[in-house]
Amino acid sequence: MTSAVFPLTVYVLVFITIVFAILLERETDGGKMEDVLDESVSEEDLRKFERRYHDSLAQGTVTHVIQFEYAWCLIRSKYPTDVKRGIFLLEDLSKGENESGKRDCIYYLAIGNAKIKEYSKALGYTKVLLQVEPGNRQVQTLKHTIEKRMEREGLKGMAIIGGAALALGSLIGLGVALARK
Amino acid sequence: MSAGPYNYSYIFKYIIIGDMGVGKSCLLHQFTEKKFMADCPHTIGVEFGTRIIEVAGQKIKLQIWDTAGQERFRAVTRSYYRGAAGALLVYDITRRSTYNHLSSWLSDARNLTNPNTVIFLIGNKSDLEAQRDVTYEEAKQFADENELLFIEASAKTGDNVEDAFLETAKKIYQNIQDGSLDLNAAESGVQHKPLQPGRNQPQNQPNPTKEGCAC
Ligand SMILES: Nc1nc2c(ncn2[C@@H]2O[C@H](COP(=O)(O)OP(=O)(O)OP(=O)(O)O)[C@@H](O)[C@H]2O)c(=O)[nH]1
Ligand SMILES: [Mg+2]
Repeated sequence: MTSAVFPLTVYVLVFITIVFAILLERETDGGKMEDVLDESVSEEDLRKFERRYHDSLAQGTVTHVIQFEYAWCLIRSKYPTDVKRGIFLLEDLSKGENESGKRDCIYYLAIGNAKIKEYSKALGYTKVLLQVEPGNRQVQTLKHTIEKRMEREGLKGMAIIGGAALALGSLIGLGVALARK
Repeated sequence: MSAGPYNYSYIFKYIIIGDMGVGKSCLLHQFTEKKFMADCPHTIGVEFGTRIIEVAGQKIKLQIWDTAGQERFRAVTRSYYRGAAGALLVYDITRRSTYNHLSSWLSDARNLTNPNTVIFLIGNKSDLEAQRDVTYEEAKQFADENELLFIEASAKTGDNVEDAFLETAKKIYQNIQDGSLDLNAAESGVQHKPLQPGRNQPQNQPNPTKEGCAC
């Protein structure tokens, strides 16, 4: 009798896990474009600015603008390797830039770091900006977006761990059920 | 019509373009938050806002990209034009130079969006009548010649702000209804939310494979 009950609980647990995962999935990709972190650059545009950067690099004529434009496109890429390269280029730029240029770099460093889930770094950059301009709504919005993202990721992480625990529980249950036979 | 777990049945993409300081971000903020920001810093790159509206009984989600007017951002902000269903082209009625630059903004918009993109011209800061530098008639004529919708508005008082965003949506919706806007065409700037969402990819960008991807 117990051997019949165990598989049933296993099925129920697995079912709950799947439903939970689907709900979370829907929550994360449901509305698609909800904020600046969801957006990504088109392949074509990324290539265009990449070519411009590499051409001027070869000729030794890289300007701040050319580097910034390429870095900005990299930050908007959906591939983490691109984003990391964008961060590298912006960090390089932010050392030498004038004040407004620095502000641009730091803002996109915050976005880039958030996209590769370096949330505390990202928040750090928004705090730097807010120290200079406490009332900047664009930066406040970004900070809020990052905080929301952190919360959501936390929830998702829990669900994955929860799911794994349930799966493990099911296996043990199955083992017990088999041993009883 | 039901739209699954979504509470809207269409998504329209908008862009807001025009010289720096004409009030693009204030217009967006007035539209989404119904507030005016007296002291607004220049936009860094782009800002984003959404609001759900209703046209002909249909709930429509507007996804609005507010671009920075400062020259150093212009090359990259152009990449946001693609796939816009609506473009709000803004000038400041108290600064003629912002009006004089309209043809350059317009040619960018025409070149980078599709032929069905609805372009709405907004003469902002209509509350500053005493400092007016561009007459209504002159701008209206420009709008007519270029087949643009036109309104004077104030992000400060909120005057005509709703109208500009809503009229644009109505026109887009009309284009869908009469078939001149093909929803299946890439970059129509409109997504129709299917009944069973989540499994498809209603995105602007295609999903090409790419070397150097972090797989
Ligand atoms: N009187 C008045 N002032 C306005 C109005 N709209 C905007 N402003 C002011 O104009 C200034 C510029 O407004 P923004 O919305 O930042 O301009 P923008 O077009 O977004 O500028 P960029 O981001 O640099 O491209 C701000 O100081 C606003 O307070 C309006 O309708 N009336
Ligand atoms: Mg702005």
